[in-house]
Amino acid sequence: MATAMRPDQDVKTSGQTAPWSPVLPTLTSRGVVAGVEVILYLVIVIMVAIVEYYVAGPITDFGLSNWWIGFVVYAAWTGWNWAGAQGPVGSYVDHFIADAAGRPACFSCIAVRQFTRFGILFGIPFLILDSNVWLSVALMVTTGFVIAAMPDRRAPWDLIAGTTITQSLAGEASVELPVLTKPSDLQLSGQRVAENRRAKRLLQLAGFSSVIISAYIIRVIFGEAWEFVAASDFEWGLLRDIGWFPRRNKFDLSTLFVGTLWITGIAMLVAGPVGLGVAIYLSEYASPRLRGVVKPAIETLASIPSVVLGFFAISFISPTVLQPVGGSLGIDFGIFSLISAGIAVGILTVPIVASISEDAMRAVPRELREASYGLGARPVTTALRVVFPAAISGISAAFIVGISRAIGETMVVFIAAGGSGGAIFEANPTEPGQTITAAMASLGAGTDSVAGSGIAFQSLYFLGALLFLVTLILNVLSDAIVRRFRQEY
Amino acid sequence: MSVKPAGRPDKPTLGSLQRSRSADVRGQVFLGLLLLAVTLAIGMVFAVLLSVIADGADVLSSRLWGFLSNPSSSDPVKAGVVQGIRGSLLIAAIVSVVAFPIGIGAAVYLEEYADGGPVTRTVEIAVRNLAGVPSIVYGLFGLAVFVNTLRGITGGSSVISGGLTLSLLVLPIVIITASEAIRAVPSSLSDGAYGLGATQWEVIRTQTLPSAMPGILTGSVLSIARALGEAAPLLVVGAAAFYTTGFQGFLDQFQGAFTALPMNVANFAKLPADQWAGHAAAASVVVLVVVFFINLVAIVARARITKRLGR
Repeated sequence: MATAMRPDQDVKTSGQTAPWSPVLPTLTSRGVVAGVEVILYLVIVIMVAIVEYYVAGPITDFGLSNWWIGFVVYAAWTGWNWAGAQGPVGSYVDHFIADAAGRPACFSCIAVRQFTRFGILFGIPFLILDSNVWLSVALMVTTGFVIAAMPDRRAPWDLIAGTTITQSLAGEASVELPVLTKPSDLQLSGQRVAENRRAKRLLQLAGFSSVIISAYIIRVIFGEAWEFVAASDFEWGLLRDIGWFPRRNKFDLSTLFVGTLWITGIAMLVAGPVGLGVAIYLSEYASPRLRGVVKPAIETLASIPSVVLGFFAISFISPTVLQPVGGSLGIDFGIFSLISAGIAVGILTVPIVASISEDAMRAVPRELREASYGLGARPVTTALRVVFPAAISGISAAFIVGISRAIGETMVVFIAAGGSGGAIFEANPTEPGQTITAAMASLGAGTDSVAGSGIAFQSLYFLGALLFLVTLILNVLSDAIVRRFRQEY
Repeated sequence: MSVKPAGRPDKPTLGSLQRSRSADVRGQVFLGLLLLAVTLAIGMVFAVLLSVIADGADVLSSRLWGFLSNPSSSDPVKAGVVQGIRGSLLIAAIVSVVAFPIGIGAAVYLEEYADGGPVTRTVEIAVRNLAGVPSIVYGLFGLAVFVNTLRGITGGSSVISGGLTLSLLVLPIVIITASEAIRAVPSSLSDGAYGLGATQWEVIRTQTLPSAMPGILTGSVLSIARALGEAAPLLVVGAAAFYTTGFQGFLDQFQGAFTALPMNVANFAKLPADQWAGHAAAASVVVLVVVFFINLVAIVARARITKRLGR
């Protein structure tokens, strides 16, 4: 069918729908091109080896990494050529897109051709150097099938992605969307129907992947958590002890709950007012120009990785902010404290609260504001008495999502709250403490627990299950609030 | 307002209907509070960036190349982040190979094939809930499945396990952004193609996906930035704090010990601050540069592609 969709043949502007006659290279030219490819591949491998020499020093073991990197570079180069159907490879691929009569070649013909083509190039080096027969065979087979399975042998979607990217980078002429060119393209052939069915099945599978993953996460995590409960002869007494020391069989959940509550509470004390203030300002007061400056700045905050904020907490918040302030109030702050970590988590949560509540307030129709101004209300009254109540469901959802994010935040607390391995029950937020997530991170960071057995390992999953449940409930709750109180305008 | 000349009737003007600004104390206080919030938020951005850069300036200016090209070491003068850079690159590659096709496929399914029945609803709910699961829980899943169950393939705590775990983590983000991009394609395009007799798959392939490509690409690129900033799942999956490598064979590259840039930051930050704080800050700067660069690429690519497609 889509053999007629050739980017280099401009049927659209020629006016007439001339049938496309495939350019079939002779056997000699094919051989030459294949030879060029092999030489090119070897050149790439040698260049990789040279680069490697400068990066890693003298090469003692000319390992497979060179062949592998060469493969990636080569594949990118071929892909580039395929996208534009230009260069030696471009003309080379023509011969397996169609047979002599111009009909598209069969799936298996292409698969076989690709086995030989890529199998020789890539499978054999692996066979020789790794002497791993199955890996090499698997590589040959999958390469062949992946290439053969590309829809339509020369699929417009990859063609468009390729040309769009290359041309936009090169700043060249505009991309032409493919057009159906021949009336015969539009006749429903068995092949088109079969392809349609195949595509649907594949996409369905992709869609269900998230259900499968969800189910599997629940199964794995709750399965292991149950092992913990069973192994510890579940008594609540076991979960109430002097502190959280999993390696000494002391599993005091209240230690972790108090830490998590403090972190979440402090984070929301920071993120709630600041995020909401930003949201109201952006949606009600800011001019479009100012908004164009402030909003990206806040979004920058959202893209800062949490490890960086964890480091910020111990390098800036504790020594530069908390210790001087605490010193003047007579409170003694260390470098590691729940307050410091909580403030950093709050900074991370600001953009979440701000952007979700801003969206909610901007969704309030203009008419409500205009009516309010028409009655002589001031901006402050309009914002607080009209827009805010109308957007309350979205704003509460923003807070709940913020809370759920703060509860699930790991790295900041792991780095800045100071509890490593275990923690004694501590209700004072100026002291170091431990949260559910940080306890999990400490357990995971220890190499002995990753080995995969023992009650400390399973307590990791018990905490994971708790965390999963809490955040799930919060997310469902925020969804329900939005659904329940959504105002239909 | 100006003083009115005597004898003229008191005609209301638009100005007189407005209450004067100075009298609106509540409004002024409120606006002041809002501006305080905005200033605080922007101040936070600058405080984080500037303090990290200031702390890392020492290491970065004295031995930038050594820091970028040395492996982990117990000697502060030799320690570098090249293993983290390599690990992050491989993770980005694995995420784009695994999460993009599945995520975009799922988005196409949800937007084009979904019928609103119970099956589709289940998929939608699953995606939404996956998006809200804390990242460390994905780490637990990766630890149980990729590290322990599939040890034969992944080699245990390896970059394959880490990359696959982060692929699952960004999958819902890819699905949600791609769905939004596909939903934004005007239905007139696909209607026209259907009218010409194209099958559903042909419509998707030739009309919907190309038109949605800018949005899909942007979302996908941003999800890579997210994956490169994550450390918690890698910590649980078992990214190494310290390991030595030369250049290894093919399989060891993927199945051996690994680390990633954010893990470097975390590891440096956990060491005694007097010697290592500069390293943690410098590694933070490297992570920030990488993440911001990816964000920038996404924004620029989006702008250019949108222009090329003439929309």
